[in-house]
Amino acid sequence: MSKTINLTLKVWRQEGPEKKGRLETYPAKEISTDMSFLEMIDVINDRLTLDGKEPIAFDHDCREGICGMCGAVVNGHAHGPEKGTTLCQLHMRHFSDGDTIVVEPWRARAFKVIKDLVVDRSAFDEIIRAGGYISANTGGAPDGNAIPIPKEVADTAMDAAACIGCGACVAACPNASAMLFVGAKVSHLGLLPQGRPEAARRVQSMVDRMDELGFGNCTNEAECEAACPKEISITNIARLNREFLKAKLFSPHS
Amino acid sequence: MNWVVNALKAAIGKKLMMAVTGLAFCGFLTVHLIGNLTLYGGRDLFNSYAEHLHSLGPLVTVFELVLLALAIVHVLVGLTLFYENWRARPVRYCMNKWAGGRTIGSATMPYTGLILLAFVILHLMNFHFVDKTGRTIFEIVAGAFAQPWYVAVYVVAVIAGAIHVSHGFWSAFQTVGASHPKYMPLIRGVGILFSLIVGIGFGAIPIYVYVAVT
Amino acid sequence: MELNANIPSGPLAEKWDRYRFERKLVSPANKRKYDIIVVGTGLAGASASATLAELGYAVKTFCIQDSPRRAHSIAAQGGINAAKNYANDGDSIWRLFYDTIKGGDFRAREANVYRLAQVSNEIIDQAVAQGIPFARDYGGLLANRSFGGAQVSRTFYARGQTGQQLLLGAYSALMRQAAAGKVTIVPRREMLDLVLVNGRARGIVVRNLITGEVENHSAHAVVLCTGGYGNVYFLSTNAMASNVTACYRAYKRGAVFANPCYTQIHPTCIPVHGDYQSKLTLMSESLRNDGRVWVPKKPGDKRPPREIPEEERDYYLENKYPSFGNLVPRDVASRNAKEQCDMGKGVGETGRAVYLDFEDAIRRDGKDVIAQKYGNLFQMYEKITGENPYETPMMIYPAVHYTMGGLWVDYNLMSTIPGLFVLGEANFSDHGANRLGASALMQGLADGYFVLPYTIGGYLAAESFPDVPVDHPAFKEAARDVQARVERFLAVGGKRTVDDFHRELGHIMWEHCGMARTNEGLNKAKGMIQALRGEFWENVKVPGSERDFNQSLERAGRVADFLEFGELMITDALARQESCGCHLNEAYQTEENEAKRDDENFCHVACWEYAGDDKEPVFHKEPLVFENVELTQRSYK
Repeated sequence: MSKTINLTLKVWRQEGPEKKGRLETYPAKEISTDMSFLEMIDVINDRLTLDGKEPIAFDHDCREGICGMCGAVVNGHAHGPEKGTTLCQLHMRHFSDGDTIVVEPWRARAFKVIKDLVVDRSAFDEIIRAGGYISANTGGAPDGNAIPIPKEVADTAMDAAACIGCGACVAACPNASAMLFVGAKVSHLGLLPQGRPEAARRVQSMVDRMDELGFGNCTNEAECEAACPKEISITNIARLNREFLKAKLFSPHS
Repeated sequence: MNWVVNALKAAIGKKLMMAVTGLAFCGFLTVHLIGNLTLYGGRDLFNSYAEHLHSLGPLVTVFELVLLALAIVHVLVGLTLFYENWRARPVRYCMNKWAGGRTIGSATMPYTGLILLAFVILHLMNFHFVDKTGRTIFEIVAGAFAQPWYVAVYVVAVIAGAIHVSHGFWSAFQTVGASHPKYMPLIRGVGILFSLIVGIGFGAIPIYVYVAVT
Repeated sequence: MELNANIPSGPLAEKWDRYRFERKLVSPANKRKYDIIVVGTGLAGASASATLAELGYAVKTFCIQDSPRRAHSIAAQGGINAAKNYANDGDSIWRLFYDTIKGGDFRAREANVYRLAQVSNEIIDQAVAQGIPFARDYGGLLANRSFGGAQVSRTFYARGQTGQQLLLGAYSALMRQAAAGKVTIVPRREMLDLVLVNGRARGIVVRNLITGEVENHSAHAVVLCTGGYGNVYFLSTNAMASNVTACYRAYKRGAVFANPCYTQIHPTCIPVHGDYQSKLTLMSESLRNDGRVWVPKKPGDKRPPREIPEEERDYYLENKYPSFGNLVPRDVASRNAKEQCDMGKGVGETGRAVYLDFEDAIRRDGKDVIAQKYGNLFQMYEKITGENPYETPMMIYPAVHYTMGGLWVDYNLMSTIPGLFVLGEANFSDHGANRLGASALMQGLADGYFVLPYTIGGYLAAESFPDVPVDHPAFKEAARDVQARVERFLAVGGKRTVDDFHRELGHIMWEHCGMARTNEGLNKAKGMIQALRGEFWENVKVPGSERDFNQSLERAGRVADFLEFGELMITDALARQESCGCHLNEAYQTEENEAKRDDENFCHVACWEYAGDDKEPVFHKEPLVFENVELTQRSYK
């Protein structure tokens, strides 16, 4: 059953990438526990607007946990404290009356703050651009059943492919590393026979790009796995390491 | 050989160096611990172990140089990673909590590492670069551990080492890509066991010597 | 205006092949001289951009999100149809064609739908080659499942994330072309106008959503892949940024809008739970395989569901449709839920919900079997509602989730503006008055991978194009208009937020132009929308400034267009004095309360041409000719 609670929000406000940000405090009164976290911000924003203040900028789109657009660090947790949940799927019933909630943007050198809680995640696109694809022009594909793929392999590839590119892994990583994101894509494509021809080139190129973009290094803290709303496993990082090592040792192009 | 440099320069390459050198240290710790266990056999056994070791002659020097090289790589690359990781998040979180992946070991790696570095220097000054004329190694050890604060320093350092290894062991396997759903739990278990053995094995020695001598 | 669909002559099955041979080609060396703008990066936009770039065109692709990977195609759950007949159950291109035409209640163009069925198989092959991890059997071959409206198993799927996987495949193909320098990706831009030079689409005006700058981009052709307009209802399963603006701006520049009133309402969504709610979440239709739909017999019965004894429950679908029971098609299930709630028998806090009960299924098959089939859906439901569907029945209610209407296009997917092509949900072409499950993904990818790349070449090869720089007077004028409009929003300084207006518009549309429509209600709604629009321009409050990241301002533009477009939908609904598919006018029903078509008078595509602000749009019709199928009445008793 729904009830209402009163909260205090401390939200990171920052006017632009080069501006200095600060936490601002807003009362969040009479918040229904059935609201999602983003709906709660909608309500606060409506109130701010009517008070003549500027609403909080935040990214969001599908609001059903699949587009990867939303995300903020809530009370020190990427996407909030619930496991396997994006911010849009986090509901206010997980908070108690009188709570203070601190909301901050993803923080990483590679993810610049655009405004308030909105960050620039184009670095992820850059990494995919470096090789996160299988080169298959439209038109020439063989029949879908031409290459049988064991169910376990397809399932493991799907586990990795479930990544929504939200950036929570980077946000949660103590080192702001993007290894889970890269590992998931390298695994997804590398596990499938279609992805093998380019595997060595792909992993080297993606890792190089990742390094250039200023992400930190993986120290196997596994915080990414714990924060990932799609619960993508760090075995994908091990696979990335393996693919990298294999490519460097045996590929003629390295 | 350009490819080697490129490989090692990459984030994963640096991690690989940490993993390989770290695993080598795990091997060294094992041998070292087995050797040290002779202490429990008393003065003569321990002294004869030391003598045997030194009778290997130049091999010892080679071994020491290899260890030194490994240590330099491990420390320098570790410091580089530490710096790069610190730089990767220029603005820190106002509020930061663990999501559930971190352990005491993983969260403290650079710090336990630095403690270990300081300790190793101290340790070498105590027992390696020390005037050994007219004293057996057992006497040196016994002398050192007769002082309670010395024992305390050693125990603290060994605990730091055990914590360091508790993350480092499995982490090395993860980094070289040796991860399999069937075996990873075993590797993790062995890592914990190994850190316990290292902690208790090395930690008990100064206490034992202190108790036995005084 | 004459609406020529440009359907190739000849037998249905040969039309596409013949067309491809007869259509003029652009030589490989010349392709790079053509700039093509693609707006939107969903399945249609991403696949079109990638394929055009592979062919050698210079492509510029725009998206509203921060990355092309986030377009709302990503949320499609169920699957994608193809006539592969891997299940050996009698499927064929012809059957997929027929099911789609019939499912659309005979309001789609035969030739387009047949082509869609033809290329469906190539889509699966292409997707597999790209590394889409489709579900597979233990033997390693592709798995299929069944979906509504078909008696064969032809749906390919990747867990409940088929749309996501297909989109990521198209996105990766797009990024590959970006890496090759063939595509320029321009994210966080919103198209706010179409630019015509000498009657041809030659560019767009966009607003940079980060800096607020208005930018001009010129090209030889413009391809709109901007999705549907379900958000006119405020609450829908669409993403928050989904909007009609790009299409509506094209409409205002002369592109004809077809069948705007065709809106699909999905029966199994999580109900509305409060005024603050921002969007609705779909629960897969497959739940109706095992769940039983019921409401209390007594209106206003507020007892908890488990305390209502069996004899006081009304399993209305099972009672009314004994042979199909809970598995009646989407439109029928939706309308019946509304009817029960209108009678006061709705459940939950708002009274706008019905139960979907798994108690019997769990008793029959055991909890484990049910968990295996629907575990992830149950989990999602619990996450949102905080209730455990294993113990208490789910509450569901219909919600808007797809719009069949869109900009009118011919067989080439070109609108009435030469050089403006429209793909995917944004066009009207293939689904008639009702879309079958798992067909949206098929259409988006068919248009992008396999249709447009051929048809656009014919257009470019047949014409000569003078240079149009971005400071051409037509661009300057359009950019000035856009700028003036942006400033106008900020200048109103009223007392109601943009969302407040949007919510009220949605309420009007849902009540009067939703699942069941009456002439009286539609007429009333028309007046209400006009009044609301009037108030909007006097009383809206848009905070912040224009040269900034300003989400309120973005929404203001979209809602302003919805406030005009909603009226167009109502005009269309009023003009269609019949019921068909998802358009149910209560005056036209069979005795079984099904949509009763009037093929004599309404077997056409209703097309609307903009005539000026506050003027009734001009009506045109494209008659639908059925040479290959017989028009029948659906029945699910």
